[in-house]
Amino acid sequence: MAIKADGLAGVGKTGYLSLIFRGFRYYRGFLSHQLDLLWHLVKRDFTLRYKGSVLGILWSLLLPLAQLLVLVFLFQRVIPLGIDAYPAFVFTALLPWTWFSSCLNSAGSLFLSNRDLIKKPGFPPCILVGVNTLSNLLLFLVVLPVLVIMIVAFYGKPLTPYFLLLPLLLVVNVVLIWGVSLFVATLNVFYRDIQYIVSVFVMLLFYLTPVFYSTSAITEGYRFLYNLNPVAVLIQSYRAVIFFGRAPEWGFLFIASVLSLLSCVVGYVFYRKKLHEIVDYI
Amino acid sequence: MSKVLILESVSKSFSVQRNRPLTIRELLVQSLLGRESKKHTVWALRDISFSVRQGEVLGIIGHNGAGKSTLLRLISGVSYPTRGCIKRFGRIGSLLELGTGFHPDMTGRENLLTAGILNGLTSRQVKMLEEEIVEFSELREFIDQPVRTYSSGMYLRLAFSVAIHFDPDILVVDEVLAVGDLRFQQKCLERFRAFKNAGKTLVFTSHSIDQVKNLCDEVVVLEEGRMVMKGDPQNAIDCYNELMRERTERQKARVFGKVEEQAVLAGKRGKRLGTHEAVITDVCFYDTRGRAISGLGSGEGLTVELKYRIVKPVGDLALILGIYDEGNTKCFETHIPSFRETFGFLGKQGSIFCSIPELPLLPGRYYLNLGLYPPDWNYVYDYHWQMHGIDVVGKRLPHASGIVSLNLVWSACNGNEDVAGR
Repeated sequence: MAIKADGLAGVGKTGYLSLIFRGFRYYRGFLSHQLDLLWHLVKRDFTLRYKGSVLGILWSLLLPLAQLLVLVFLFQRVIPLGIDAYPAFVFTALLPWTWFSSCLNSAGSLFLSNRDLIKKPGFPPCILVGVNTLSNLLLFLVVLPVLVIMIVAFYGKPLTPYFLLLPLLLVVNVVLIWGVSLFVATLNVFYRDIQYIVSVFVMLLFYLTPVFYSTSAITEGYRFLYNLNPVAVLIQSYRAVIFFGRAPEWGFLFIASVLSLLSCVVGYVFYRKKLHEIVDYI
Repeated sequence: MSKVLILESVSKSFSVQRNRPLTIRELLVQSLLGRESKKHTVWALRDISFSVRQGEVLGIIGHNGAGKSTLLRLISGVSYPTRGCIKRFGRIGSLLELGTGFHPDMTGRENLLTAGILNGLTSRQVKMLEEEIVEFSELREFIDQPVRTYSSGMYLRLAFSVAIHFDPDILVVDEVLAVGDLRFQQKCLERFRAFKNAGKTLVFTSHSIDQVKNLCDEVVVLEEGRMVMKGDPQNAIDCYNELMRERTERQKARVFGKVEEQAVLAGKRGKRLGTHEAVITDVCFYDTRGRAISGLGSGEGLTVELKYRIVKPVGDLALILGIYDEGNTKCFETHIPSFRETFGFLGKQGSIFCSIPELPLLPGRYYLNLGLYPPDWNYVYDYHWQMHGIDVVGKRLPHASGIVSLNLVWSACNGNEDVAGR
């Protein structure tokens, strides 16, 4: 209100300029508060996650490590796939996969388990999805140095400049996770079995995504379908820039980015439509 | 003064769907069998319009289920109106349901930080206020304990301190003060006054008529989701009591088929009100030795016997007992929320005894007002107003006035020199 009134009072070019400037400042203030809130909630999520456990954050490292051990044992000893530096090969894909799957598995109950926050005046529920995405991303980033050391020191593979593309992949991945999670979180408020369907779906997707095998093992006809799966494309891209040290397949990455953006738009539109009802159903 | 809160024909509906499909399976089964679940809308609020000026205290009163809490949730922006719009100017703080707002596993201090940031402060600003909040809530020893270990009183103290210290322009308080002890309630009321004097706006609900009368500038009366009136506290409270009476009459008509006048107990003055689903058949007074009396000496003991009979099957009873003087000033009042909980059993008829070891009232005529209510206090089964009088006799103490008779012993310690000198 105040902004509008001031802007109309000072008619003329400078008036409109100051209006735009004030609007920008107001918006920046709003944004910085939202970021402040997001950061605080991520820290809160971290504290809550490890409250009362002795090993704390180590648990988040142990889980993918255990999975890694099983996969390595299985596909290096029992059914050898014959892939060079297999542990590093799997681990490169396993980390982003863990990020994606744990985000999606907790997305369903996100709104329901944070009633205390949603019932505060002016709290935007969608920020919870951001918190979930980011706090799982932090875990990924914590383990990342372990992976890099493993590749460089243990397997003697050099890091190439393509490694610098990692932030781009992370951004696309954040957009994808945010969009899908928002959709799942909103829908689960109205139909509580979405979260179980999602966990089954995530489990199936694990096998349809080249985490523990290489895409070269897939026959030509199916490979096209694989490349329509944004998670598979992202996983391959991670592997390309970190493990192989080469460029990702740009065409497929572009498609994956578009799909991610699409999921984000669909998720957000659906959420906006249902926003008013969410509070009453919780 | 400028308006800080404007409601324009606000309505809120909830769709209550019988057999609403909660899971996908139910949804599938229902649509396959072609069974449409019946959807009907319940209007919790209808067409509410009012505005609140800056610095005003607005009270909202109404019976249970009249829509008070829904209205407060809409005002504070937690929930959204189905129709109409709400305009707010300024930052809103709220103290709604007591169960929500804090995470049980986090400590009081951590919750306080979260609440502050949610209220639009930076973490540094919260840190600066932290000391003051902890001080006000009187929870210094417990502030680093998880909130789940708090009692409801402690929880309220923290919630209230947090809500009032983050300096909202409009504070919305649902009936929560009832949980705190009396001293903290007083402290809160003090704080409300200071808040109001600082030009801030307060909107609250309460069942305590005294609080409404003392604190509010204006009062909104809600009845079944509609706004019955908005006006000054006294008129609103009268209106509320009138609604209570009407509701009782309606209930009575429903229960007995028609409204019938009940004969006043023989030889007694006063008024009687209620549906008579349960009735007070007689009230007797006894002294400490069990003799029936109609008057007693000041400071002597009194036993009240209340005989009741249940006419229509009712699940439970609540009882109110008040002692009023002739000018209808309340000397004392208490209630029993549930017969079953207090006495363990509810017979079809029986007597309730209430022994008062000492009744230190000044001499005069007093009335015992007794009432039987359903446990939700929504209407009255039977209320006797000024029907049972009792005379308190005794030597009137010289120079004494008031209600309570106290035994005073005066003495002095004056030093050893008289001012007149000797």
